[in-house]
Amino acid sequence: MDETLQHIKTPVVAARAIGTRVLRSEDPRLLSGRGVFLADTVLPGELHAAFVRSPVAHARITRIDVSAALALPGVFLAWTGTDVLPHCEGLVGEFAVPGCNATTMPLLATGEVVYVGEPVAVVVAESRYAAEDAAELIEWDFEELPVVVSADAALAGGDVANSQLPDNIGITGGATYGDVELAFEQADQVVSGRYYTGRVSAAPMETRGVIASYEWASGQLRVWSGSQMPHFVRYCLTAYLGFPEQCVEVIAPDTGGGFGQKAHVYVEEMLLPLLSRELDRPVKWVEDRRENLMAGTHAHEQYVDIAYALDDTGRITAVRTDALGDGGAYHAPPWSMAVEPWCAVVMTPTGIYDVPAAEYSYTAVATNKTPIGAYRGVGYMAGTLARECLADDAARALGMSPFDFRRSNVVREFPWTNPQNIVYDEGSWLETIDALEEMVDYTAFLQRQAELRLQGRYLGLGLSCFVESSGESTATSKEHGLGDVYHDTATVRMDPNGTATVTVGLTAQGQGLATTMGQMAADTLGIRVEDITVRMATSTSQAYGSGTVGSRGAVIASGAVARAGGIIREKVRAVAAHMLEASENDIELADGTASVAGAPDAKVAIADVAAAIYFDMTAWPEGFDPTLEATLAYDTARPMFSNGGHAMIVELDPDTGFVRFEKVFSVEDCGTVINPNVVEGQIRGGVVQGIGAAVFEELSYDASGQLLSTTFLDYGLPTMDVAPPFEIRHLETPSAHTASGVKGMGESGLIAAPAAVLNAVNDALTPFGAVLRELPLTPEKVFSAMNGSSAGEAS
Amino acid sequence: MKPPTFSYVAPGSVEEVTRLLASDPDAKIISGGQSLMPLLAMRLAGPSMLVDLKAVNGLARIGIGETEITIGARVTHHDIESSAELASALPLLPFVARFIAHPQIRSRGTLGGSVAHSDPSAEWPTVLLAMDATIDVVGPRGGRSIAVDDFFTGPFTSSMAFDEVLVAVRVPRADRRWAFQEAARKAGDYGLAIVAVTAGVDADGRLHGCRVAVGACVGTTTRLRDVEDAIDGAVPGETLAARAEAVARDSVQPISDIHGSSEYRRRLLGNLVRRAVTDLTNGQ
Ligand SMILES: Cc1cc2nc3c(=O)[nH]c(=O)nc-3n(C[C@H](O)[C@H](O)[C@H](O)COP(=O)(O)OP(=O)(O)OC[C@H]3O[C@@H](n4cnc5c(N)ncnc54)[C@H](O)[C@@H]3O)c2cc1C
Repeated sequence: MDETLQHIKTPVVAARAIGTRVLRSEDPRLLSGRGVFLADTVLPGELHAAFVRSPVAHARITRIDVSAALALPGVFLAWTGTDVLPHCEGLVGEFAVPGCNATTMPLLATGEVVYVGEPVAVVVAESRYAAEDAAELIEWDFEELPVVVSADAALAGGDVANSQLPDNIGITGGATYGDVELAFEQADQVVSGRYYTGRVSAAPMETRGVIASYEWASGQLRVWSGSQMPHFVRYCLTAYLGFPEQCVEVIAPDTGGGFGQKAHVYVEEMLLPLLSRELDRPVKWVEDRRENLMAGTHAHEQYVDIAYALDDTGRITAVRTDALGDGGAYHAPPWSMAVEPWCAVVMTPTGIYDVPAAEYSYTAVATNKTPIGAYRGVGYMAGTLARECLADDAARALGMSPFDFRRSNVVREFPWTNPQNIVYDEGSWLETIDALEEMVDYTAFLQRQAELRLQGRYLGLGLSCFVESSGESTATSKEHGLGDVYHDTATVRMDPNGTATVTVGLTAQGQGLATTMGQMAADTLGIRVEDITVRMATSTSQAYGSGTVGSRGAVIASGAVARAGGIIREKVRAVAAHMLEASENDIELADGTASVAGAPDAKVAIADVAAAIYFDMTAWPEGFDPTLEATLAYDTARPMFSNGGHAMIVELDPDTGFVRFEKVFSVEDCGTVINPNVVEGQIRGGVVQGIGAAVFEELSYDASGQLLSTTFLDYGLPTMDVAPPFEIRHLETPSAHTASGVKGMGESGLIAAPAAVLNAVNDALTPFGAVLRELPLTPEKVFSAMNGSSAGEAS
Repeated sequence: MKPPTFSYVAPGSVEEVTRLLASDPDAKIISGGQSLMPLLAMRLAGPSMLVDLKAVNGLARIGIGETEITIGARVTHHDIESSAELASALPLLPFVARFIAHPQIRSRGTLGGSVAHSDPSAEWPTVLLAMDATIDVVGPRGGRSIAVDDFFTGPFTSSMAFDEVLVAVRVPRADRRWAFQEAARKAGDYGLAIVAVTAGVDADGRLHGCRVAVGACVGTTTRLRDVEDAIDGAVPGETLAARAEAVARDSVQPISDIHGSSEYRRRLLGNLVRRAVTDLTNGQ
C-alpha cells in the first residue's frame, strides 16, 4: 500500500479542548472501584480452568495420566497435548525478514517441554479451587534434557534449547550503511562497551485472563480477554481454530495495564474457546501472579555490543552495534524474538546523533526460558541504553561534559536523512539537550556534587536523550523493511441535541485515551468536551483496530476521529450555511456555535443545526444526505519520530549499595500535546518502570533453568516510596502529517530512563574508578563497585 | 493460587484451641493470616484444619506494668505502631512496626503470629531478642514461659510445641538505650539485614548488658555475642562502632540468595552494626 490514508485536511479551527488539562473522563469510574475487569465478569454456569505447568526447563514427557484428576468430584475435563493437537498444531511465531527461523508453540506441550511454566495439561472444574486440586493429581513422568540458560551458551551451540531450532538461532541479520570500516580505521579514538539489559516482566497490575463462551445453538463464540489487540485475537481464532470470523466476538473489558505483555496472542486465548465448545459451558481462567511471572511473556534480555569511532573534535564518525537477544524458548507471536534485538539496532540506529555511517547486526537465540515478548518501548530501550551510556563513556574519555558531547553530535537541521535513508521530518533534539542542562542547573549541580563528595556522599547525574519511532504505522513498517499494514477506524455520530458519540478501534489499558479522543472530537466538531462520549473498543463488534501498541494510540485514533469527525463537521457546516444564508466556506464551528466569519451576529447553535438535520428538511441544502454518522480509517502517511530526554540525579549509599533517586527532569516533544496531564502521567509511569528495570527488577534463573523470582517478594517492582519527584517540560514540534500535529509518546519513559539511571550511577561512581554496564544495578553490584570487592561486576 | 481443602473452627477459649491442636497434628492456628494464607494459596502448606484465634477473648491487649509490658498475641502490628502508651513506655516497638510490610498487612498481621512463625527475616523476632523478652505459651499441659534466648531454634522453627498457643509477649521496662537498623530496598520489603541493639549505660557512660540481635541475613534470628562482648564496658563512639563492625563481620556466616551473596551481606551487616552502635552514642 503506497498511499496511506490521510486525515481530512479541514483545519482544526479552534483549539479549545486540545492542549488543556481536561480531567480524565475514565477516572470517576476507575478510581472509585466501579471498573469491570475480566475477573469481575461472571457468566451463568461458568466453569474454571487451571493449568499444569512444567516445573522443569527442558524435558521429554514420557507418560501423562489424568485419570485421578478426572475422578475428583466437580471436575469436568482434563486435557493434555494429544487432546488439543487435532484442533490446532500450535501458534506459529516468525518475523517476515530473511534469517528468521519460525517456531510453533503448541497449545499444550506434546513430547518436549522447553521452559518452566510451559502449559502441559489443563483441567476444567466447577471452581478454581477444584481445578487446582485436580491439577495436582495429574501424574506425569519426564526425562530431563540438557538445558541452555544463557544467550552465550545458546550461540556457542551444542546443547539445543528447542528441537525446532537445532542451531538455537531464532533470527539473525544485519546491514551496513556508509563506509563504517574506513571510519573506524581513521578514527582518532574508539570507545566501546557491552551493555546488558537484564530480564524483566511488564508485570501489569492485572494479570492475563480469558473467558470463553460458545453457544452451540447460534454458533456464536464470545471471548473476553484484556488484549491490546482484540481484532488480532479474533482473526487468530478463525485462522487457527476455524471459528467463522463473523460468529466470533472478542471483548476487552476494563484492563489493568498491558504494557505490551497483552499485545500478543497466547495459547490460553486459543485453548479456552475449545474447552467451552467441548463442554458447552462458559470457561474462565484468571491468571495468578506466579503464572504471570512464569508464563506471561518476559522482556528485554539483551547484550548490546556498541562502538563509536570518534575524531579528535569529539564527533562520532561511525557506529557499530551488535545485539544478542536471549529470546526464550519460542517466538512469541506475532512479534517474535525480533522484538528485542532487531528493534534495538534497526530502529533509530544512530539515536539523536548525526552519524554518517552505521553498521548493525542482530541475533536472537533460543534458551530454556519464558519467551520474550513486547514491553513498552521493546528493543528501543536496549538500543538507547547502549547508545546513551556509550555517549557518556565517550564524553568521559574526551574530558567533555555529557551535555557538550551530545551537543557536538546532535542532528541540528531537519528534515534529516539518517544512514538508512529514512527521513526524519522534524524534531527538537538540540533544544532537548539545552533544556535539560538548564533544568538541572548543571554548574550548580557540579558544585554540590563536589561538596558532598568531601562529606562522603556520592551524587551522580545521568542524561539520556531519545528519538522514538512513534505511531506504529504501515509507513514506519515499510521504511524499516517490513510489510505490516496497520490502520484503525473510528465512528463519530452526532445526536439530535448536538452531542456526539465517538467509538475508536483501540482498547485502553488505563492510558486515558477516551479523554484525549474526546478532546480531539470536541475540537473537530466545535462542541464542548463534556458533550462527547467516547467508547474505546471494548468489543470487536465496534470499530476496527490494529492494536494499542507502538506509541500509536493518540496518533492513529486521533487521525481516525478527525477523519470521521470531519465528515460530520462538513455536514453541520453545510446545513448551518443554508440556515444562515451564508457561504459554507465562511462557516466556523467553535464553542457549540456555527458562525459566519466576519459577521459575529450571524450564528446558530450546533445543537439547532443537528436537530434540523434530524427533524427539519427545510433546513437542508439541495441534495443533502442526513446521515450524521461516519466511520473512517486512518494510518499515518509517513514514519514519524518523537524525541525528548531525561536527566536524573541519584545518590549512592556506600554502606548498602542502595541507589536513591533524588529527582527526574524530563523533556518530551510529542508534537501537539492533547492533554498535558495524560502526557505527564505517561512519562511518570514509563520512567518509574525504567527505574524498576534499571535497579529493582530481575527475573533470575538458576543454572538448571529454574525461575527463582515467581512472586513479588522476589521480583521487586518499584513502589511510590522509591519514585522520585519529577520536573517535566513540554516542547512542541508538531508533525505535518497527523491530525493537529500529534505524535506518539507512550513508550518514551521506559525507552530512555534506564540509560539515565545507569549514567547517573556511573557518574556517582567516578571517584571509585568503576563503570557498570549490566542491569539491574543491584545493591551488591553498586556496593562492590564502591568497595572494590570481587562480588558484582565492576570493570 | 487457591488453598487446598481444610476445615475451619473459631473456638472461644485457649483451652479449646489447645485441645483441637492436640487432637490433630495437621491442624494449624490462624491469627492474622498474613504469613499463613500465602503459604496455603501457593500450596506450600496444606493443614487439615485452621483454628482461628479471633473468638478467644483477652489476646488483643497491651498491658503497661511497672516493670514490664505485656502484649497479647493478637495485638496487630498496626496496634503497636499507633499505641500512644507504647510510644512513651517502649518507643522501639512502635518505631519498628513501621518497617513491617504495608499498612494493609500491618492492620491484620499480629505480633503473636510473627513470633510463632519465627521467620528470620521478620522484624519482631530480632527486636524481641534484643529486648530480652519472654514468650508466654499455653499447651494442653498448662502454661509456660520461654525466654526469648531459648525461643528461636532455626529458620521458621521455635521451641514451641505444635499444640501450644502463644498467648503473650512480655518485654522488660528497663532504662536502656536502643538502636535499630534495617537495610530494605523499598518500604515494606523484608530487609537484606536487620540489626537491633539494646544496652544499659552506667554513670560514666559505659555500656553494659548489651544485647545485639541480627535477622534477615542469617538462617536463624540470633545474637551476636562476640559483638556484645566487644562493646560491653566500653564508651560508645566512632572507635567502638568501627570495632563492632569488624567483629560483626567475622562472627557470622550470612545466607546467600538472589538478593545478595553471603559476602555482600557480611559487609552490609558490619555496616549496620556500625550504624547501630553509633546510634547508641546519640542515646535514643
Ligand atoms: C506482602 C507481605 C509483606 C510482608 N512483609 C513483612 C515484613 O517486612 N516484615 C515482617 O516481619 N513480616 C512481614 N510480613 C508477614 C506479616 O508480618 C505477618 O503478619 C506475620 O509474619 C504473621 O502474623 P499473622 O498474625 O498474620 O500470622 P498467621 O499468618 O496467621 O500465622 C503465621 C504462623 O504462626 C502460627 N501462629 C499464629 N498465631 C499463633 C499463636 N498465637 N500461637 C501459635 N502459633 C501461631 C500459625 O499457625 C502460622 O504457622 C509480610 C506479609 C505479607 C503478605
